[in-house]
Amino acid sequence: MVDTTAVLGYATPLVVSPGERVRFHLSSASLAAVDVAVVRVRCGDPDPAGPGLKLHAMKAAIDGHHPVRHQPIRPGSFMIVGDRPPLATLASFAFGCFLWPTLPGNGALQTVAARWDAASGAGWRLEIDGEGHLRLVVAGGGRRAEARAPQPLLEREWVFVAARYDAVTGNLALDQRSLDPQAGRDRSAGAAAVAPPALAWPSATPLTIGACAVGAERGRPLARDHYNGKVDRPRLHASALDADAMRALCEQVEPRPGDPLLVAAWDFSVGIGTEAVHDRAAGRLDGRLVNLPARGVTGANWDGGVASWTAKPAHYGAVHFHDDDLEDCGWEPDLALDLPADWPSGFYALRMRATAADGEPVESFLGFFVRAPLGKASAPVAFVASTATFLAYANSALRLDQVHAEAMLEGLIQLSRDDCYIAEHRELGLSTYDTHSDGSGWMYSTAQRPILNMRPRGNSFNYVNDTHVLDWLEELGFAYDVITDDDIHRHGAALLAQYRTVITGSHPEYCSRAMWDAFDAYQRGGGRHMYLGGNGFYWRIAWNPALPSAIEVRRDVTGVRTWEGEPGEGHHAFTGEPAGLWRTIGRAPQRLVGVGFDAQVFDRSSWYRRLEASFDPRVGFIFEGVAADERIGDYGLRNGGAAGLEIDRAEPTLGSPPHLLRVATADRIGYGGLPTPEEFRTAHRGLDGEQNANVRADMVFFPTAAGGAVFAVGSIAWPCALSPRGYDGNVSRITANVLRRFLDPTPFAGF
Amino acid sequence: MLVNDPASAHYEIDPDRVDLVAEFRRNPKGPHSDGLRKVLHRMRWSGAGGRYVLVVLDPGRRWALGRLPERRGAPVELFRNQVFDDVGTAEWHVFKLRWQALTGRTIED
Repeated sequence: MVDTTAVLGYATPLVVSPGERVRFHLSSASLAAVDVAVVRVRCGDPDPAGPGLKLHAMKAAIDGHHPVRHQPIRPGSFMIVGDRPPLATLASFAFGCFLWPTLPGNGALQTVAARWDAASGAGWRLEIDGEGHLRLVVAGGGRRAEARAPQPLLEREWVFVAARYDAVTGNLALDQRSLDPQAGRDRSAGAAAVAPPALAWPSATPLTIGACAVGAERGRPLARDHYNGKVDRPRLHASALDADAMRALCEQVEPRPGDPLLVAAWDFSVGIGTEAVHDRAAGRLDGRLVNLPARGVTGANWDGGVASWTAKPAHYGAVHFHDDDLEDCGWEPDLALDLPADWPSGFYALRMRATAADGEPVESFLGFFVRAPLGKASAPVAFVASTATFLAYANSALRLDQVHAEAMLEGLIQLSRDDCYIAEHRELGLSTYDTHSDGSGWMYSTAQRPILNMRPRGNSFNYVNDTHVLDWLEELGFAYDVITDDDIHRHGAALLAQYRTVITGSHPEYCSRAMWDAFDAYQRGGGRHMYLGGNGFYWRIAWNPALPSAIEVRRDVTGVRTWEGEPGEGHHAFTGEPAGLWRTIGRAPQRLVGVGFDAQVFDRSSWYRRLEASFDPRVGFIFEGVAADERIGDYGLRNGGAAGLEIDRAEPTLGSPPHLLRVATADRIGYGGLPTPEEFRTAHRGLDGEQNANVRADMVFFPTAAGGAVFAVGSIAWPCALSPRGYDGNVSRITANVLRRFLDPTPFAGF
Repeated sequence: MLVNDPASAHYEIDPDRVDLVAEFRRNPKGPHSDGLRKVLHRMRWSGAGGRYVLVVLDPGRRWALGRLPERRGAPVELFRNQVFDDVGTAEWHVFKLRWQALTGRTIED
């Protein structure tokens, strides 16, 4: 068994231009050194039934034996404010906020707010103890006191909390008031204690919300005892303000900044798309967020009057912290490579080999991409690396955590070594298919971490499947460039317009508005698009304008969703744009590529039969060398057929154009084909593929303006049927027929 | 918060339907009869008797039986003495374990 996880790493940047420097950040908990080699990936799939791993050694300057070290990952989000006057010199103080705890009583300490010096054990902490009780702790000079609420907090229910310390009397008090105190939800309670008066607070200590600071590592703040849940409108006052007065202060979105005792009034509704935290008080104790907690989430005052944070930011003044949020591992780079200017674009990887202590061979990869830079196209064909989709699925634990997985897949789940590693190492950060430890959906994904399913030998979906297209292009001798979603988002249609044909792969599911617009403009401008997959252009995403390779996905309340967003949280924090399915925003995939996601079918894949339109002479080129009654793709590496896993159909009411020719279909899918939720209005029996002709994969062609065209196959399984039968089965033949014709600039006549 | 509750799987398996057992043994991959589909969905959705999985030892060639942990973050349990060189045999092995867990009856090979 090859060990694929003994050493892990990531590249910065994820997408590199020839001539640029790429850094590799590595870590191993067990190895002292590894042999590295840079490879260009032709096929990353080790499946013995397919082409097998095909990796071209680039003979890079960094190839060779290199030491590695262990570099830890520090997940968990929080807000931090560096030490500033008057934090250290406060005598009495009061802290208040609204809380929506999502894991109270999980056995762990969870910090709501703290200014605590762990080394000296001095400062103050407002926290939820392991049993779910709110607690205020103050300490200094070797003396300590605490007040603990007699009732535990209720999960996912808003509560106002206030804590205060009177430096003159030493009185310590805590109040919690349920915002919906009826029908068993009332957890309102108070607690008091007497602490030493005139406690001296530590100096040079940051104030944190959502965790307790414990120093710094490589210039990055470290914290522990992370809180899970929302915090809304936190305020800090330089007097022992009672709970009623503090409640009044917290209810105000914009408290009067002129109050000289108002130390801080943080407003999370300002700068929602950023990591900055704005303080409305005159002292400007602005903070910043670490590890990307969720913003643009509803606050305690949200009343359903609006459904977007952009419409009424004041109702979105909460941040949802998670103990497993992760933005960036922050590992030191171990290797740097100045990419030779003559390296071709492509899927690349750093291969790391060693022998583990138990004698097992180690072969681990980290994936990165070399782009064909804008203005430097080297071939008439571009293959799109679906980096947005790779990020959306990065380190998916779906098959580990989602209890429906085996039923959905209709068979025993097969876990790779990578899956087993993720099971134990949640610190890697999971995918937007997963839920945080508190059950809420994972909305952000970044590339500054090892991504186990975006590399050779990774699980057979997305990345690995897409390399079958690269393998096929190389086998048949088609010259191609690789461009990435990142670049299409940033450069738009100009990037695509350099190519006579652009190929999207097995599953270009995630798409920003700029990407969608770029493909649309490309197709309208005479570009030719071969969409060789299924479930493409389905979810809307947002790229973070400031953070490289960070995307946001919100599942909202429709679509095939492994979690459902909270009400009112269907807009991206990064951009304010509506989230969810492109279909619900008036851009069903059919509008762009003729077909759109209709069903999942994981038990067995099917084959296409030619339809009447396939004999139309205008599209005769597609089927050259394919007999009229031939079963198309009745073979393949994914469940035995070319039509399977996730499939798309044409639908005029969703935007399939009038000139579209539905040339073939796989419409005998069987009972394993289940329609997506948005494909039926009310549930009734008979919706499965055995009984429902709308559960199908359609192969379509349509011309676009200025000589452009689109060819789509509507099936994720298609690329993995290119190589069988010596690359000369009808799947390969049809794909090659279309590509050759698409490379011929002659417009498509007769439409 | 919408969740998928595996305890919702409540189809009652008739322990006397040995014909379904025989059908699965003959054809673990399917397509299956309506009756067998319901049995399998009860097994696969509920995870009764443990969420068994296969851990790939050699892609496409060799698998070991495993079991998912009850608690997030815990390791996948690996049964190194239960190794299969085809998925159908593994499916049959797990089917027997689950039939026992759900019906209290042992399937004799």
